[in-house]
Amino acid sequence: MSEKNELLFEMKNIEKIFAHVHALDHVNFDVRKGEVHALLGENGAGKSTLIKILTGVYSKDGGQIFMNGEEIEINSREDASEAGIAVIFQELSLVPTLTVYQNILLGKEISKFGIVSDKAEKAQIQELIDRYGFPLKTTDVVETLSVAQKQMVEILKALATDSRLIIMDEPTASLSSRESELLYKIINQLRDRGVSIIYISHRLEEVFNLSDRITILRDGKNVGVIEKEDIVPSEVVKMMIGKELSESTASRELSTSDAETALEVRNLTHIGYYNDVSFEVKKGEVLVLTGLVGSGRTEVVRSIYGADPYDSGEILLNGQVYKPTVKRSVANGFGLIPEDRRTQGFSPLLSVTKNVSLTSYDKIAKGGFVNAKDEDDLGEKAVHLTDLRPANPNVQVGDLSGGNQQKAVLGKWLTRDLKVILIDEPTVGIDIGAKDEIYNIIEELASQGVAVLMVSSDIAEVLRVAHRIIVMREGRIIKEFNHGVATQEDILLTSSGFVSEEEAA
Amino acid sequence: MTAMKKSNPVMKALTSSSRIIVLIALVLIFSLATKGVFFSYKNLVNILYSVSLIGIMVCGASFAVLLGGIDRTVSGNAALSGAIIAMTILNRGATGGNVALALILGLGGGALSGLIHGLILSRFNIPAFLLTLATNEILYGLVQMVTGNLLIYIKGCTLMDYIGQVRWLGIPIPVFIMLVCILFAYIVLNHTVYGRQVYAVGGNREASELSGIPTRRVILIAYIISGFMGALAGFVLSSMNQQASASQANGYENNVLAAIVVGGVSMRGGSGSIQNAILGVFLIGVIENGMNLMGVPSIYKDMVKGIIIIVAVAMDMANQPGTPLNNLKRRLKTKQA
Repeated sequence: MSEKNELLFEMKNIEKIFAHVHALDHVNFDVRKGEVHALLGENGAGKSTLIKILTGVYSKDGGQIFMNGEEIEINSREDASEAGIAVIFQELSLVPTLTVYQNILLGKEISKFGIVSDKAEKAQIQELIDRYGFPLKTTDVVETLSVAQKQMVEILKALATDSRLIIMDEPTASLSSRESELLYKIINQLRDRGVSIIYISHRLEEVFNLSDRITILRDGKNVGVIEKEDIVPSEVVKMMIGKELSESTASRELSTSDAETALEVRNLTHIGYYNDVSFEVKKGEVLVLTGLVGSGRTEVVRSIYGADPYDSGEILLNGQVYKPTVKRSVANGFGLIPEDRRTQGFSPLLSVTKNVSLTSYDKIAKGGFVNAKDEDDLGEKAVHLTDLRPANPNVQVGDLSGGNQQKAVLGKWLTRDLKVILIDEPTVGIDIGAKDEIYNIIEELASQGVAVLMVSSDIAEVLRVAHRIIVMREGRIIKEFNHGVATQEDILLTSSGFVSEEEAA
Repeated sequence: MTAMKKSNPVMKALTSSSRIIVLIALVLIFSLATKGVFFSYKNLVNILYSVSLIGIMVCGASFAVLLGGIDRTVSGNAALSGAIIAMTILNRGATGGNVALALILGLGGGALSGLIHGLILSRFNIPAFLLTLATNEILYGLVQMVTGNLLIYIKGCTLMDYIGQVRWLGIPIPVFIMLVCILFAYIVLNHTVYGRQVYAVGGNREASELSGIPTRRVILIAYIISGFMGALAGFVLSSMNQQASASQANGYENNVLAAIVVGGVSMRGGSGSIQNAILGVFLIGVIENGMNLMGVPSIYKDMVKGIIIIVAVAMDMANQPGTPLNNLKRRLKTKQA
């Protein structure tokens, strides 16, 4: 066995069961010394569960873990870090007000009798920075750094504890393309120094370029391990999606309607967020903007609603130039189901009725006084329209399940005379039953002639509800699936960077 | 007024409140301990009179707290309005027109102060606690400038004499002014669009914004109400004392906050009611009065007040999911079940 192929880490027959469902079903997974090993799979395939087991967040229900050939138990984060495993979190876990060296040595301060030696700490971290050539100063305060630099601090934090296995979960999701290039260099450098990396990303192009091997998970099972030289992109995508999906869910016949245009966007640009975006939504049509997180979809929708500004281009409502403000949008029959319902969608302490009423005081109040009966009727109506459960409009929205919270947010708009509804990732964190009900509501709205503009990353969802699909990447429209058949494969390949802009056009 | 007929939910809120039970228990204990002196009509009126100023201020400051803010300038606004009214009357005489002018200037000053705070707090992300801590000092500085740091006596003003000295049914006028303020706050918070918006913005500003609610204006108006109520309390205080001083009402802001917290209005905003905030005012008033009658030394009184505030904060925390106290409460509940 050549040294390059020596195994560092091995997981055998790992099992994890949540409420009788096999989240991981006898999964084997290994990482060689000095290897970049990508873990691929759609949302819910078991990637995060596997990572949580190997970092000690979850305990496994079966199987064995080996480090350097020795069996180990990982029952806590401490166990993981003792074994030399470190995670670069998607949401960075640094203290913003402390300096670079203070962050790296947090909890591991160099001290004598409780007195910290700043000098020794700075020297040690300087040496570490020099070794890898990162553009960082030891005394920089973390909150003043860019996202990419913060990531470097995280990486240094891992290296400072002699981690041999570093897990990177979507590290480029919030980086610019130049910053991503720098990260790739760092990853290659780490590999050359014998550090192993588990790499998780939705961007297939970068995964294929960076990885020495990839492991593909689907429905909690390992469905394939592929060496770099054997990677065929379309094959990988097929393995991720699986063949057992029926034709009707895996693809959808799209059709453009010949109804009147309700909303049109022309060359809309918000510098730094999205560029030259043009499309139209007809009455009764569901247009879905898809693509990866950070591709500018949410920002476009927020600009149309008036919640964020834009720099140039125009928005047209029923053929008339429309300059949006939130107030004007509400008055003109727009509705918004925002991306994060907890922080943007509802007031958790208020009842369903009072949340629903927020958008309708123009209807249920006179002279500034609320008509209590009209308000109660409105709450009842919202519960009825969305089939909210429990069917009690006086329950605090914060006490409802995720799906019913989303229904309460929908209720804010369904009770109004809607013309255009903007829906952003409506089913994140919602169970399957409630998802279906929400799709039904969306379809019902469209059939009533409401123009629906939706943002979604869930490809099955996109294919379920869309009449037309637009794929965005890095703030631009890459491809529009107008009519004919679109499949999961088409969309996945386009959004993850496998179809270039020229090819798509 | 369909609102007034619906006493059912109001009664429910009152009876389901643990505060009202505590209040009744305290009244019983103090009545027994003082052999009925506590429960005499005269003493009960005394309590009402002693809490009236704090009560008026609470009716304003609760708006700020419900929005997740705080207004520590209630005392500074009271001092400034008292000083402006006293100086205007002193300099121009106590004729009807001049008293009206004095009132407009004094109460308008409080509203203006609230407007400035509201403008700053609705536009800039400054913690309300820090801003109003600082500006309350500035307001007291202004009061010293206006009064020249002297005690200003108010003589010959019929209106203020009336408020300070006349009683209806044996009850001093300031108590009635407090009741009007409570009624105002109750109706605004429970029956107007603005009241609904206060709760919504306090509970989730971003969601309110995206629902088309003018969140800045909601915050702005809250501080204007708070400023005005503070100034009104200052006018009443000057009427009671027939004077205005440079340190008038100093420290009242702490009692106002204590009452609101004891009344269970969440310091995070979005939850609580004016009825309960007023109950908080009465709880503190009853405890102070009761201990006075029993001859408890003032050091112990302050300690008891402090402990009550801690208990109130702990109860607030216990209702907030995710806090250690909430976990404890839930564990105790499941054990019982």
